[in-house]
Amino acid sequence: MSNNQENAPKSAEALQKELTSSMSRPTWKWFLLSGFLGLVIIWGSIAWAYQLRTGMGVAGINLPVMWGFYIISFVFWVGLSHSGTMVSAILRLVKANWRRPILRGAEAMTVFTILVAANFPLIHLGRAWKLLYFIPLPNQRGLWPNFRSPLLWDIMAINTYIIGSSLFLYLGMLPDLAILRDRSTGWRKKVYGVLAMGWRGTDHEWRVFARASTMMAVLIIPVAVSVHSIVSWDFAMTLVPGWHSTIFAPYFVIGAIYSGVAAVITLMVIIRRAFHLEAYLRPLHFDNMGKILLVVSLLWSYFYFAEVLTIWYGHKPIEWEVFRYTIEKYWYLIGLMVFGNSFITIPALCFKKVRRSIPAMLVLSLFVNVGMFIERFLIIVPVLSHRNVPFVWGHYIPTWVEVSIMAAAFAGFALLYTLFAKFFPIVSLNDVMEGEHYKSEVRLGRGRLNTIITED
Amino acid sequence: METLGLYKDLESAAAAAEALVQGGFAEQEVTSISSAPYPEGVLVKEEKASFFRWIALAGGIIGAGAGFLLAAGTAWLYPLHTGEKPIVSLFPVGIITYEFTMLCAILGTIAGMFLEMGLPSLKKKIYAPEISLGWIGISVACRDTAMQTQAQEILQNTGAVKIQNEGES
Repeated sequence: MSNNQENAPKSAEALQKELTSSMSRPTWKWFLLSGFLGLVIIWGSIAWAYQLRTGMGVAGINLPVMWGFYIISFVFWVGLSHSGTMVSAILRLVKANWRRPILRGAEAMTVFTILVAANFPLIHLGRAWKLLYFIPLPNQRGLWPNFRSPLLWDIMAINTYIIGSSLFLYLGMLPDLAILRDRSTGWRKKVYGVLAMGWRGTDHEWRVFARASTMMAVLIIPVAVSVHSIVSWDFAMTLVPGWHSTIFAPYFVIGAIYSGVAAVITLMVIIRRAFHLEAYLRPLHFDNMGKILLVVSLLWSYFYFAEVLTIWYGHKPIEWEVFRYTIEKYWYLIGLMVFGNSFITIPALCFKKVRRSIPAMLVLSLFVNVGMFIERFLIIVPVLSHRNVPFVWGHYIPTWVEVSIMAAAFAGFALLYTLFAKFFPIVSLNDVMEGEHYKSEVRLGRGRLNTIITED
Repeated sequence: METLGLYKDLESAAAAAEALVQGGFAEQEVTSISSAPYPEGVLVKEEKASFFRWIALAGGIIGAGAGFLLAAGTAWLYPLHTGEKPIVSLFPVGIITYEFTMLCAILGTIAGMFLEMGLPSLKKKIYAPEISLGWIGISVACRDTAMQTQAQEILQNTGAVKIQNEGES
């Protein structure tokens, strides 16, 4: 039996007022935060401009470690993008009623993280203007992309994912844009009006909208899986020891879901606090997301163990050498990763009290993402440092240019998210309002129970 | 011509829809307008078959063809012999075809959805901004003025807070 007041249906007006609190007039704190994020982005842009002007020598990448922080960041950000849309799509498909306040924030996270990720191959390219030759456009040099390269598959997959997840976000926002159109004035009314496309909310529109949402959810899940599989194949299609593994695609997909779910939880905590959404993002939501995180952390740990066990048991000299080097040189990073991703997360998430504690969930989700960033580092750097040709063994230390660009990526994501929350509701109005219709209370024996009506 | 009655609560809106059908209006002439969806049959019943999935399917098929032609077609067109390797490599072509299939199916879904909804509409349709505040609109398509008068009466009798006809704001 839960709190009856919590379950009492709210009027549409009251709901909209609370859920659009993020769109209120910006305060000095908002300007301060945006200004700070803007400065970090400018600093990162200066670092990139310096790299473009001077050459790739200003980055820490070298021979043999030709993939450094840029590719690590690329894999990390693609991974983060994975779960937003996927969690939203799965929860929509299974019609989980608690999904409603989470969807919008998760979908927006996907769009912005994948946009951030898409910058890194460009930065890593060095001469960024040569990107043109990746695109299948006839040119005077007679160059044509080689579709046998996984890097080309990457471009196709990421573009599909950017378009798909942006449309998925837009689709979910369509009815909300009509509400904003009706409630706003001036230029905002015009912009929302154009974006709402004349939506009125007729019964026919709602039916088609529901079917299209389901269809999009069905279509976006295999795209999400393909994106991170293809990112893994950038590595696994090579014959490099430590990368050439059949487990890489599912391992990457699970890793991506893991970091993505953790990032959704982190954002839920921030949104809840910043926009006073305590009534909507309740401990129940953290509890359920915690259960998902627990399942994914078990899967990730299982995959990691299976990969390590196979290398250890096989003891193939080349693979073992890379593995031995990784353990010897980066034992503290491995320790931190396994601690953050498995040893602390799995036992902690078994307890309902932990899953329902918002500070604990914030700490755990941050642990996971630090762990997952380290995992990306450990996949790339030790393997390239210690490949099968001993006379080109080396090591990698990132420079200030790479660190600045990476910091700018975090700031860029945060700024995009902050701006999005300022112009659009960060919690889906139509989904929450629909949920309100289904709330009910029934008398059973001596008690009164809160219930949710569901359709067959 | 359309007439819209606005209600502040669900029960009155549902009673209005029922009264309109009882009053001789066909089920497909009566529709609800709301800021959040209601399950089928709560307000009105829709019997129209949906067609947008066919557009999504067509998009997928076009995408598959486009992806295949981009990867395999261009390889055939400009053959590049590399050792004993085939000109058209099966797995890469499959992957590019898959991505294009999904992309075009997604685009087809969105395009089909808007097409089926009839959006964006060039003609201004009957609507009231109060709907965004949680009010429920029951709209009825009338074939002549006599039916419009009858519809207004039914909407009035079932407790409509506001009634408006097409063209009025």
